[in-house]
Amino acid sequence: MRVGLRVNGTFHEVDVEPRALLVHVLRGLGYRSVRVGCDTATCGACTVLIDGRPAKSCNLLAVQVDGAEIVTAEHADGLLERLRKSFNAHHAAQCGYCTSGMLMAAYALLSRRERPSEDEVREHMAGVLCRCTGYQNIVRAVVEA
Amino acid sequence: MRLVGRPIPRVEDARILRGRATYLDDIEPPGTLHAGFVRSPYPHARVLRVDMSDALSDPRVIAGYTSLPGPPMAPGGKVRFQGEAVAMLVAVDRYALADALERVVVDYEPLPHVVDPAKALEEGAPLLHEENGSNVAHTARYGSPDAAGAAAPRVLEGELRVQRVVPAAMEPRGVVAAYDGHTLTVWSSTQVPYDVRKEVAGALGLPLSRVRAVQPDVGGAFGSKLIVYPEEVWVAAAAYLLGRPVKWVATRSEDFRATTHGRDMGLAFRVGFDGSGRVRSLWGRITCDVGAYHWGEGLSDIAARMLTGPYDIREAGVEVVDVYTNKTPLGAYRGAGRPEATFFVERIMDMVADELGLDPVEVRRANLVRGLPYTNPFGMTYDTGDYTGTLEAALSRLGYYELLRWADEEWARGRLVGVGLSIYVEVTTFGFETAIVRAEPDGSFTVVTGTTPHGQGVATGIAQIVADELEVPLESVRVVWGDTALVQDGIGTMGSRSITAGGSAALLAARRLREGLKAAAEQLLGSPVQYSGGRFWGPNGEAQIGDVVRAIYRGRASGPLEAYEVYNARSTYPFGVHVAVVEVDPETGHVRPVLYRSYDDAGEIVNPLLAEGQIHGGVLQGVGQALYEEAVYDGEGNLITANLALYGVPTFAEAPRYEVRFAERPHRSEHPTGTKGVGEIGAIAATPAVVRAVEHAVRRVRPGARATSTPLTPEKVWMMLRP
Ligand code: FES
Ligand code: FES
Repeated sequence: MRVGLRVNGTFHEVDVEPRALLVHVLRGLGYRSVRVGCDTATCGACTVLIDGRPAKSCNLLAVQVDGAEIVTAEHADGLLERLRKSFNAHHAAQCGYCTSGMLMAAYALLSRRERPSEDEVREHMAGVLCRCTGYQNIVRAVVEA
Repeated sequence: MRLVGRPIPRVEDARILRGRATYLDDIEPPGTLHAGFVRSPYPHARVLRVDMSDALSDPRVIAGYTSLPGPPMAPGGKVRFQGEAVAMLVAVDRYALADALERVVVDYEPLPHVVDPAKALEEGAPLLHEENGSNVAHTARYGSPDAAGAAAPRVLEGELRVQRVVPAAMEPRGVVAAYDGHTLTVWSSTQVPYDVRKEVAGALGLPLSRVRAVQPDVGGAFGSKLIVYPEEVWVAAAAYLLGRPVKWVATRSEDFRATTHGRDMGLAFRVGFDGSGRVRSLWGRITCDVGAYHWGEGLSDIAARMLTGPYDIREAGVEVVDVYTNKTPLGAYRGAGRPEATFFVERIMDMVADELGLDPVEVRRANLVRGLPYTNPFGMTYDTGDYTGTLEAALSRLGYYELLRWADEEWARGRLVGVGLSIYVEVTTFGFETAIVRAEPDGSFTVVTGTTPHGQGVATGIAQIVADELEVPLESVRVVWGDTALVQDGIGTMGSRSITAGGSAALLAARRLREGLKAAAEQLLGSPVQYSGGRFWGPNGEAQIGDVVRAIYRGRASGPLEAYEVYNARSTYPFGVHVAVVEVDPETGHVRPVLYRSYDDAGEIVNPLLAEGQIHGGVLQGVGQALYEEAVYDGEGNLITANLALYGVPTFAEAPRYEVRFAERPHRSEHPTGTKGVGEIGAIAATPAVVRAVEHAVRRVRPGARATSTPLTPEKVWMMLRP
């Protein structure tokens, strides 16, 4: 089936199997920041923005999001650059496997809320797991981005 | 200004933060085929027949194997744990592969199985390895087990248990291999590329020169990627035989069964002490459930040899029994033996204090080792430190007694909070490590480290060390790793050894290169010279270090352009005191970690920002061990906590606030870096501190309640709260 996706501003038209997961299609298009960490839609490593809202791309078929605007961690804009600087300054990434998902979840939060509290960050980002950092530095990085 | 000691943000972040890191699944040479495994649903079964004909009739399926060079699949015609591989298929893509795996028919003859190590030791228990004659995988004795516990005024006996957990690095294991007719390249999500190379070359009968192993970015490991797994060899063999690139990436559910689990040790103990809390003797027997194969050798031995912890217990002995059961093999997991030893001895100290009605800190103080170096009853020599002095400093920095008073006040207001303290000494660092420091033609430097970092920030730490030694800016030093085309031998990142062993190797290599460049500068300038800040100078003039390097590159001076260093690192012993604060919901038994404070003497700290990050992450794994995580097998031998939806990796909601401190005047190790290692401290110290904190809270309601095993699930805590 043919699906049209706008990813980080670039339009792609692709032929996909109806059962193809969005995460696999995005990775196949070269958006490798979108990671697979589980098979139960639990870990959030595959989080992208779909029409501005965070979504787990392993839990969607590509055909379900035909025509969508998608943002991945390869994207570059002012807010993402601020987040990147803050993640670096606060040592919020260790192995980095969760980091794309964390950046996307944080981006979604900060897009609609300028100065979230620590508790809001923890609650909003709870869908992304990290095994390395213990989370505190990620919270700080988002609060102080 | 010295770079070592400063909280410098990581230099390796740029790729990760732009989504450009390259993990194993991001590597896909053109024409890559996808491999997958048919895995046993049974914990123990004879494999009667594997019929791949239906799967192979699909043109998208390229090959199927029930044996390949390397370890045997289903050795001796049996599978011994749920998830053990029986056959491997290779298909054109993941989706075709998933279809084909469903079409393989395997006839199993289920065999009686055993998942309880005590039952596995009973007469008549089903045997995993018949040729072994029993399910005993290994036994050892340390100290004097027969003498220990003879005569003491008071004696306490008991049993303690640390559950089996899943390391659950966020990136599952995987491997890609490609053969170009001459070189076989193997990319693996591993901590040990050197071992991968050796095992693959050995299995295929290739000289090492024709096998290259690459460790790409690795999404966490925590010890679970430090052995060479059968899949790594089989996938490489298939790529070699097919002459086409082959990739295997585990699904999460597959990874939960096919990647080693951690911990899973029980201790039976008898402790003798006097009325002041001084421990006279300690006897222990550690039973370790190693699962189906003995892949994690030495874990229980380390636990045994660290069982007396930081305490001077002269009469001590431990027996160790490793037992086979029909479970995923046990392996190293952050701390590997020391978390278990620390949990055991800290629980014992708390129990002795409780028996005598003494302050647990008082009992610990009475027993702490005084005067280092100190050799414990099992031959482990703690190198440097001042344990009693560090304890006193820690108590005030951590505000331990203030927290206890605060907990009293909170209880008066009806809030059930608890405070727990743990003390640990642990052993880090072993073996040799390699480093190459190379001068580039423009006077910048490339360091190749034999360590294999995967999130710790070792590249930044080593760059700081080398830049200091060469007196050049941090930006002039780049650190690379993880490719046997860059460095042919090393051990890798594990056992909190990277900065100490790898950093020392790099420091010594830099020193040697600097000396060599100095000699070259003397030739160039025709006089003895001095060096500082990147500049050589003498009576006849001066030269920048880059000028000297260029002169060597162009043959105008002779001298070394690189130095290769092999550093043999003896073990060293961090020590510290940690305090956990938890809140217990008396209605549900749910425990919420609130605050976590640590005070560690881990020698020199190269980069406090990164060291703190190591403590945070390790602590949360220790918290998970204490409260949330467990690999549970049911009576049928099914792993029922089989994926991230069913297994409790802590989330944002479960993470406490961390307040990390390092000793103001640390005791250096003997190594050139003076470091002792920080990677595993959190995972070692946190579990006993959290468990004591829960006990402290619960005792407001149920005096005398005692926790002897982890995890303290809401159910268990609820039971503790009830009469
Ligand atoms: S891959 Fe884990 S939630 Fe999508
Ligand atoms: S940094 Fe490794 S999983 Fe988050």
